[in-house]
Amino acid sequence: MAAVSEWRVKLVGRPKDVSCPSVVKTQVIDTGLCCRCMACMAACPAAVRTGVGFDFEERKHVCVDCEICVRVCPRLDYKPLSGIGSYIKAVAGRSKRFKGQDGAMVTEILMSAMEMGIIDRCIFVGRDEDWRTEILHVRDVEQLEVPTLTGTKYTFAAAVPALREAVLNTKVGVGFVGTPCMVSGVRRLQKELAVFRRKVKLVIGLFCTENFYWDELTEFLKERGVDIKKLVKTDITKGKFIATMTDDVVEFPVKELSAIMPSGCRVCTDFSAVESDVSVGSVGSKPGFSTVLVREENAKEVLDFIREHGYADFDEVSLEFVERLCNLKKKREANIK
Amino acid sequence: MGIKRLKMPEYSFGDKVKWHAAAVGTAFKEAFFPHTVTVHYPKERRKFPDNFRGYILFDIEKCINCWQCAFVCPANAIRMKEAPNKKYYPTIDYAKCIFCHFCVDSCVGGALRTTKIHDVAYADVNEMLAETEQLMEPPEIVREDRRYVEYVIEEDDVRLRRVKGQDYLLVEPPPRKEYSMVCVCDDPESCTGCGTCADVCEHYAISISIEGEYKVIRIDTARCTGCGLCVKECPLRVLRLVRREGEQ
Amino acid sequence: MKMLGQILELASSNRVEIPLIEPLLGMLPPPLSELAALPLWKPLFAALVVPGFATLGLLLLLLPWIERKLCARIQWRVGPKEIVSWLGGIIQLLADSLRFLFQEVIVSRDSHRPYFTQFVLLSFIPALLPMLFVAAGTIIAIRTEYSVQIMLALVCLFPVFILGMGWSSGNRFAFVGTVREAFMYFAYEVPLILSVIAMLLVFGTGDPVAIGESGRLGIVLNPLAALVFFIATAMGTSRLPFEIPEADQELAFGPFIEYSGITFGLAYVLAYEKLYVLSALFTTLFLGGGSGPMIAPLGELSGALWFVLKVIVVMVVFAALRAIYPRFRLDQALKAGWSSILAISLLAIIISSVEVVMWA
Repeated sequence: MAAVSEWRVKLVGRPKDVSCPSVVKTQVIDTGLCCRCMACMAACPAAVRTGVGFDFEERKHVCVDCEICVRVCPRLDYKPLSGIGSYIKAVAGRSKRFKGQDGAMVTEILMSAMEMGIIDRCIFVGRDEDWRTEILHVRDVEQLEVPTLTGTKYTFAAAVPALREAVLNTKVGVGFVGTPCMVSGVRRLQKELAVFRRKVKLVIGLFCTENFYWDELTEFLKERGVDIKKLVKTDITKGKFIATMTDDVVEFPVKELSAIMPSGCRVCTDFSAVESDVSVGSVGSKPGFSTVLVREENAKEVLDFIREHGYADFDEVSLEFVERLCNLKKKREANIK
Repeated sequence: MGIKRLKMPEYSFGDKVKWHAAAVGTAFKEAFFPHTVTVHYPKERRKFPDNFRGYILFDIEKCINCWQCAFVCPANAIRMKEAPNKKYYPTIDYAKCIFCHFCVDSCVGGALRTTKIHDVAYADVNEMLAETEQLMEPPEIVREDRRYVEYVIEEDDVRLRRVKGQDYLLVEPPPRKEYSMVCVCDDPESCTGCGTCADVCEHYAISISIEGEYKVIRIDTARCTGCGLCVKECPLRVLRLVRREGEQ
Repeated sequence: MKMLGQILELASSNRVEIPLIEPLLGMLPPPLSELAALPLWKPLFAALVVPGFATLGLLLLLLPWIERKLCARIQWRVGPKEIVSWLGGIIQLLADSLRFLFQEVIVSRDSHRPYFTQFVLLSFIPALLPMLFVAAGTIIAIRTEYSVQIMLALVCLFPVFILGMGWSSGNRFAFVGTVREAFMYFAYEVPLILSVIAMLLVFGTGDPVAIGESGRLGIVLNPLAALVFFIATAMGTSRLPFEIPEADQELAFGPFIEYSGITFGLAYVLAYEKLYVLSALFTTLFLGGGSGPMIAPLGELSGALWFVLKVIVVMVVFAALRAIYPRFRLDQALKAGWSSILAISLLAIIISSVEVVMWA
């Protein structure tokens, strides 16, 4: 990069007396399109300086008019992505080293990438005993001894703002895992800000139908007789939500959860995270295995590394299940107004 | 296991006589031509080198309130006191000061400097706390000396040489190599245009203007002092300090 | 009145002859001149002036200063110089004595009070009595053939008083110093006596005036005896290398540790008095007493002057030893005293006997 004393930033072009938070608020949040990816929070300089949260009403007071929130929001000028997306390779994997939701392939891919030296840290989502999400910057395999780090949480987590922190401190590169909306947010960040392009080296997308707000989900589960403090694993598989506790299991059809589906998920059509470097999910492979859709060259190198070192077992995938769910989610296009 | 009994080494009678004679001879020689190395303070003063670690003086113009002297002092002798202009300046407690001069070494602006004064007397321990105003002037000392003494070292012998006159006590600090730094943008493609840098710059060196479709950010290198505040405050760390061109 | 007349008659018979002050006395009319000449009566003069009090006092004021300055010079230092700087601090001892006079004398509770306070003063007995028997040239108080022997006997009394002073202090460091003094006494006594015997054999008499007038230098006649006497003196007066009872670095002044104020001053000068007595003996036996070229106007005082100068030289040599030698260990000193030095002293006696036979 050349060091310059003069440079310019392209303006977005919005009406003169409308503030950026207003633009975002009116066009994205109030319309119900906001997917809670938090890419705007990751980029906002006022959030760094003043610590203001996700409240756009409050944000108006500290906004410095930089327009970055408008530029990185994936739901502004929303062009919904869908389908299974392009991929180099599709395989089912089960990690020999780690235990996760299914085959722990997300953990395996990130740890192998760290071993290869592509990245030196990655963003993990952990939880406390009430199943509130917590973000952890993992820099060493030893940190994974905390068992709550792996496994799906089914609630929103502020992983993208944490990514900003990691990007500014890393010397090698950062690995990221998130839902398709978060992946889109990261890709927008990479498009607008060069530092994210340079430093985010591996983006893993998860297969996602919807996510939930923590308070609504825990309320819902409590009504169904689930004791959050004893909850060990949550799983959505074969149309059922299975909550495993230390001494009991509660099951109910997933359809019942549509009562608390967030509005941002209702308009989302991306099931398989088409913008990621590699997508991972449980659909399409045997129990205990994870489906891995390798989309980009960098992810392929990691998978080759895993294969060479024998860190995981591999098996066949049945992609028709994946495609079916993609088509199902594509129908949500109708919800976009 | 045996215990070894040490025996005194045997010396011949002739050796012993020789050594006795040598000892008495040295005493004779020294009695008539002594190598006295006493310096008759206060009539004479020993000449110290310029970097002697003596009383510390303070130049208020150069102080930038960085508090490094207070942080580094191993004896906790330096306390920062607030001045009427809301800035903090050091006060040195000479009862605690060990004259290590870490503070002089660590002073960023070169405000603390050393002198060759080492013999200030106080009537009371409380007097030993030197306030900032006291530190700015050299202390009152009575010069009783009429000569100063230099050590002349020749091979394996050391002599004293007495020179008439008084040795100077205040020393000019050596010229400091100061580099000018200036702020530049390392990564303009990561700039969000938030204007934090322009906000925090105390010298109004960064300006942001809207020209057509673009927000243009300019750093006025003539105004920039290289303080580094914008570098620290930029949320995406796109700014960096570099050495100014053309300076040694 | 008759008694006065008798005293004056006695005094004028045995008078010190000093041609210098004769005319002064002549100026005064009798009987005033007789009264003025009273101090010149030899015994009184000897006891008071030379080699008695006045000389002793002067030397006590002068010698520690010489010792300190000389040792300092050899040790690359300067010594005392502040009291009267342009004189080089020569009245340092006077200042010290004045200070001692004003300092409080502390008598410790553990000490045996009578002996503690009295022995300090009683110790002057063996210090001052020998003065009566020393001949400064021809000035002598009591002239007998046995002067040297009596002086020796009195000198041998010294350690008794030191032991008394140390023991009555009731302090364990004083005790250690006292015991060491006793050991040292044990070590040097016999060689000292033997060397004096050796010289008495050669001279044939113990009369110091006769020894002085015989014109023979003892150091030439019997150098071994001189050596033994020298070393024994060093041992006896606690001079380095035999400063064992006092050992500043170990015992902080040994037997005299509990004394403060004027008693300290007296204890301090005790060693110098003993040194003076032994140096006077050394000068008499080995350096020819008061012999030297006659300075006419001084009359008998010239002999005394030479005597005092020689004594000063001897004492300065002892003082300079301090800067040259390190300290002996107690057992090493004892061993030396009873093996090598005893052997040399016996050898000295043999040499003396041989000389006597040869020049019989």
